[in-house]
This record gives sequence, C-alpha cells and structure tokens, in this order.
Amino acid sequence: MYWRYAIKRILMGILIYVIIIFIYSILFNTVMEETLNGQIIEIVNGEMLKMSQVGTDPEYLLQYRQTRIQELRTLYHLDEPLPTRIFWRAVNTLTFNYGNSTIMRSFKGETDVLAIVLERIPYTLLLFTFAILIDIVVGVSLGIKKAQRAGKLMDQSTSIITMVVYGLPSWWFGMVMIMLFAFTIPIFPSGGFNSVPPPDTFLARVVDTLYHLALPVLTLVFIGFWGRAYLTRNIVLGNLQEDFIMSARARGIPERSVLYGHAMRTSAPPILTMSLLSLLASFNGALVFEGIFSWPGMGSLYWAAVQQNDIPVLLGNLSITTAIYIAGIVVLDLIYGFLDPRIKVGGKA
Amino acid sequence: MRNNKSTKGPIQDFWNEFKQYKYGIVGLIFLIIFIILVIFESFLIPFPEASSRWRDITYWEDNPRSVPPVWINFFSSKDYAPTIYFEDLEFTENQLSPTITTMNYILEYDYDYDVPPVDIILRGRFEGNFTANIVVERPDGATINLVNKNFSAPTMRDFRIPLVNESQNNVRNFVRRYQPNVPQNINTFRILFSQADENIISNPQPLKGTYKFNINLIKTSPNTVIEEPRFVVSGSVSGLLGTDNSKRDIWSGLVAGLKWALFIGLLTSAISVGVGVIYGTISAYYGGIVDSIMQRIWEVFINIPLLPVLIVLSAIFQPSIWTLITMMCLFFWVGPVKTVRSMALQIKEETFVESAKALGASNFRIIFKHIVPMLIPYAFASMALNVPSAIVYEATVSLLGLGDASVVTWGQILHDAFSGGAVISGYWWWIIPPGIAIALVGMTFAFLGFAMDTILNPKLRTR
Repeated sequence: MYWRYAIKRILMGILIYVIIIFIYSILFNTVMEETLNGQIIEIVNGEMLKMSQVGTDPEYLLQYRQTRIQELRTLYHLDEPLPTRIFWRAVNTLTFNYGNSTIMRSFKGETDVLAIVLERIPYTLLLFTFAILIDIVVGVSLGIKKAQRAGKLMDQSTSIITMVVYGLPSWWFGMVMIMLFAFTIPIFPSGGFNSVPPPDTFLARVVDTLYHLALPVLTLVFIGFWGRAYLTRNIVLGNLQEDFIMSARARGIPERSVLYGHAMRTSAPPILTMSLLSLLASFNGALVFEGIFSWPGMGSLYWAAVQQNDIPVLLGNLSITTAIYIAGIVVLDLIYGFLDPRIKVGGKA
Repeated sequence: MRNNKSTKGPIQDFWNEFKQYKYGIVGLIFLIIFIILVIFESFLIPFPEASSRWRDITYWEDNPRSVPPVWINFFSSKDYAPTIYFEDLEFTENQLSPTITTMNYILEYDYDYDVPPVDIILRGRFEGNFTANIVVERPDGATINLVNKNFSAPTMRDFRIPLVNESQNNVRNFVRRYQPNVPQNINTFRILFSQADENIISNPQPLKGTYKFNINLIKTSPNTVIEEPRFVVSGSVSGLLGTDNSKRDIWSGLVAGLKWALFIGLLTSAISVGVGVIYGTISAYYGGIVDSIMQRIWEVFINIPLLPVLIVLSAIFQPSIWTLITMMCLFFWVGPVKTVRSMALQIKEETFVESAKALGASNFRIIFKHIVPMLIPYAFASMALNVPSAIVYEATVSLLGLGDASVVTWGQILHDAFSGGAVISGYWWWIIPPGIAIALVGMTFAFLGFAMDTILNPKLRTR
C-alpha cells in the first residue's frame, strides 16, 4: 500500500518538474535563443580563425561559415517553429544539457553549466543542514515549553519576539552580524569557506571551515527558531486540547508523560513536516544570505551570475534548484505519508 | 467558522474581540503612524524631492559624504559639527562706481565642537561677472583670506564655491607662520578651526568661538545679477540618520521608501490573497473534475521555488516595480488556497447555501454572495501576514541590484550600502535603519495578522 503511494508520489513529482521546465522554457525562450545564437557565432568564428591560420581559401571560408552556422542552428533546433524550439529547449534542460556559460567558469575552469552548478551544491547543503538541525532542536524544545506554559510570561514574550522578527530579512541580520562580529569586534571571519590560504592538514581545514560556518549558522538559527517555536507551540497546544488528553489527565497520568507520551506522539508528524519544510524554504530563502557571507554555494552563484549577466548559468542553476526543491517536497510527503497513515489511505497525494 | 449572531453585526463583534489583543492594537497604531508619515512625507524630510531625485547627484552635492547622524553627539566624547544651512542671506549693496557694485555680508558661525565640518559652501545663481572674496576672522583675531575667485557667465547659471578646495593654499600660508614644515596633504578645515600654535599640524586643538565669514561679492559689470545666495556648512555629522557615500540623506530616503514598501506589500498581498480565496472557493464549490484540475495547477505552482525564479526573471527582464508586483502576485496566490478550499468545503454544506441553491441562485451568486463573504476575515488575516513577505522579496531582489531604479526602496538603500562597503567600513547608520524599517513594517502587519488569526482560530487560544 505504502509503495503504491510512494511510486505515485514520485511520478507526480517528476511530472510536475517536467511541467515547470516547460514553463521556464516558454518564459525564457527568447533570451536563451539570443545567447545560443551568440555562442554559435563565437564557435564558428573560433573555427574560422584556426582554418585561416592554415591558409585556407577565403572564398571557401565564407562558404564554410554559412553552412557551419546553418548546421549548428539546425543542431540546436533554432530554425524550427516556435513550439518545436520550446520543446527542444525543455528536453535539453530535462536531460541536464544546459550548455556552456558565457563568462563564468567552474573552480576547475570548465565552462559547462552543469559542472559549475554541481560543485556548488555541497556547500549550500552543508551550511543549511547545519543551521536547520540546530534550528529544529532549539525551536521545537522552546515550542514545547511555550505550549506547556501557554499564556504565561515566557510564552507571551517569545511570541512577541516571533512577531517582531517575522518581517526581518535574514540577510540584513547577516549584514549586521558581520559588521558587529567580524569588523567591530573581530571574533569571527567575515565570510568565505576557508581562510586564505587554507590550513595544510585535513583536521585543521575542518576546524577552519567550522569556524567560518559559525557566524552564518548562528545568524540563520537566531532568525529561524522563533517561528518554529511558535508553530510547534500551536500544534502541541491544539493537541493538548483534544479529548484524549483530557481523559489521560483524568486518569491521573503525570503531566510530563501526558505531554511527551500523548501530545507529542500526535504532534510529531506535523512538527517534522514543518521542520523539513523549513529545510526546503531555507534552501531558497537563504540564497541571498550566501552572497552576504561569500559562502561558495548556489546562492553565491546566483549572485555572481546576476552581476556578470551569465544567463545560461542562471537558468541552469534555476533548473537544478527547482529539481532539488521538488525532490525535497516529494521526500517530505513520503516521510509524512509513512508517519501518518491517513494521508495514503485518503489516496490524494 | 463561527457565526456571529450579535445584533451589532460581525464587524463590531470582531472589533470588540480585536481590542483585547494588545499587540493587535499596537500594530494598528503603527499602521496609522505609517499612513501619517506617507501623507506628510514632504513636510517631514529635509529633502522633499528625495523620492524623485534619489539618483540625481547634483541634488545631494552639498551634503557631506558618509557621515553619521547628528545625535551621536549625545553619545560620543567628541562633539561633531552638524550640517547647517544659512538661507536668505541679506547682503548690503554698495555702489562703488557705475560698473562696480559690492555685496557684503558678515556671517557669524558659532563653532563649539571638537570635529570641524567637512566643507563650507557658498552657492547661488548668477549672470554676468563677479568676484567672490571670502575672509574669515577667527576667534583669536587672526584673519585668513580664503577665496578670491572670478566668475563670468552670459546667462543665468549656478555657482558653487566649496571652501575646502578653494582655500587650501591660503590656509597653507597661514599655517606656515606657526609650523614652517607643511606637508603636501593638509586637512584644511582641521587647521582653520584649530588653535594657532606649533602643534597645529601634528596635534591640533579645536579653537572654539565665533568665526566671522566676511563674504564680499563684487559685481564687475553693470548687468550682473546674483540670486539666492546660500551658505552651507556641510557638517561632520548630518541629518537624523546620517548620509551615504553618494551624500544622500538617509532619513529622507527611508521616509520616501515607506510608501513604496506599503504599496508593494499591500497591493501584492491584496491581489494574491484575493485571487487565492476566489480560486480556492471555486475549486471547492464545483468539486469533481474542476477541483482536480485546479488542484493540479496549484500543485505545479507550489513546487516552484519563488526566490530563484524571481531573481532570474528580474535579471533577464530588468523589471519595473509593476512587473515585480505582477510576478510576486503570480506566485503568492497559492498561499491561502488549501485553507480556503477546506473552509469552503464546509461552508458549501451549510443550510443557507442549500437554500440559496433551492431558490435558484446562480453559482456565481452563491460563490460571491454567500461563500466568499464568510471567508473575508480569514482573507484579511492572511493578507496582513503576506505583506511582510512581499516587502522582503522586493528588498531581496533589490539587494542583488535588480530593483526598479526609478523609485527608492529600502532594499535599494541596503544594496547601495552593501556594495558601497558599509559593512566593512562600519557605517551602521546606513545599514541598521533600512533593516529596522523593513522589520517594523513587517512587525506591524505580523501583529495585525497574528491578532486576527488568534481570533479566527479558536484552537490557538490559551487554555
């Protein structure tokens, strides 16, 4: 039963991804074609330069240029009608064939967009799983405490802080933290992944990275956990008002085990989903955050690509971000369906 | 959904309950303050054209560059000279010959600070020929001839005499009396406003008192006209919130940005929540195949990561504020759909919908006259909660330098701050206020939204 649900859910995710890529393809068709045309001319010019050095007949060169451009245009489906072009662009994107960057290079110097994006992913994952794990631990435990003492001073004061930080851009807070703890009181590095030059031994490098991680993680956690605590509080509080809690209390079961044994058991799935969902949200919400801390992840890549106006990198990065995002949502649904049988029995993914 | 059976009507009931949430009231007060600020914007800021001329360098040229706000004088051990404007200078005119007229004005500047102003500028408009001569008499009696400069123009144009540059040589000569070795680069104003002794260069001590600037404008042709002479002391502290590295007054920019923040936030959330509510209602009301299709479309939209798409779209199409709002609406409407749908599924089963149907009301009428009105309180709550995210998204896109350059928003101020090295240089007055402004507006709407949410969602009430 669960497997049927799981496969259905995964297929649905893939279908959605395909649809979204088609939407992107329609949206960005004109720009992509301009870049592609530019690249074709560049390729042909490069080839011509090589041939002219060998001393080929200029008449033939001109002829060659014509046919070669035509050849490449056909190869990239640029001569076909618009729907076909959109279709082929989408197919290329779906097969991870993003083409070459116009300006940017990977750390190794490759121009392949896929290579450029792929090497950034681990950095982003490292920073955000770190932040979110701490965030969940702090947020959920604070939320339980809040639910226990709902309406009391501690609950109210933290709720107010939640509302105060509600509209705070995390990257702004990052800027302030850098100014404070990297320049005014220099106890943390201002950004980057390693010191320059990086330490020699592996262990020292790990420690160095952790040291560089500290400030961004601290900032992300400080901005994130209030909202999580508030949501946890509401979920737990909602369950504490259910009849089965009433009856557990009436049976004389100690409050502690009412909370952790009864209320938490029903609250766990939504809290978990919520927490994992924020893992996803942070994945794209913190893209700008990376730029502030010059953390070499996908967010910095967006930032750099925007500055250099490198459209293929931007679009490649977007496609992969979307893929990761959807994969995350699918995994989340699978976990949720596993924890909460009502979901898969209901049959609606 | 609770039914209000009071005779006073649902709005009165809601207000009575809303009043009990202190933070809701605080939010309302803040909102009223914001609206007042927007209405009286031009009276509250020293640079009323801040909004339209934010990127016009000439509008800001008399301000000092990257200086902190005036109120730091209360906290720091040293007193910084603030920016002062001397407008409407009344010159006494003196006709010396048929062609030569002198205009004279003695301006008294009380210097009671430790750090001198950044610059002093005489400016105005003129036509014809004139010579400007400015002599300063210091409190210790010494006089320095600061500027002697000729101007000529056949038509009306601006003149601007910044003393720091014009008087550098004269001040150098003045110093030589006390310190024979004058280095290449001297801080003109530091010396002008310091005690004249042998330490004047190495360790200058401020000379406090009244400085008399004797301004002489000698018109050397009969048809010379000089209009609107102004004297600007460009301080080492300036304005309520300091200035940025383009000499712009940050307080003015901040107030000018408020209306855009409110506009972007309110318009985006009103449109998107409106669309979302109607979408969810229609989906729930019709059910069956319509519901299935509409929910699949919704699923596609919920799976798009908004910020990267927004960044890429903005990077490629260089949007105006309108296209940015449109793009945000395109993605924000998904937010309330699921909740609305589940609410509408319940409402649709209520007896009054049944009876409306039995009476032959059209689907359109049932949806818009019976179901949607019941969802309005929820819609208001989620609108309020959506405002901050719209503002933050705009700020984020602007931070990357992709905003609409024809308006001034807080995100753009922060972009300029970040790219202008404010973080490294510690120009906190340039970074902190815009962020706090965003947070304050966010907080206001969060207060309102959470208060409404608590009223409408009885489960959230405390035991």
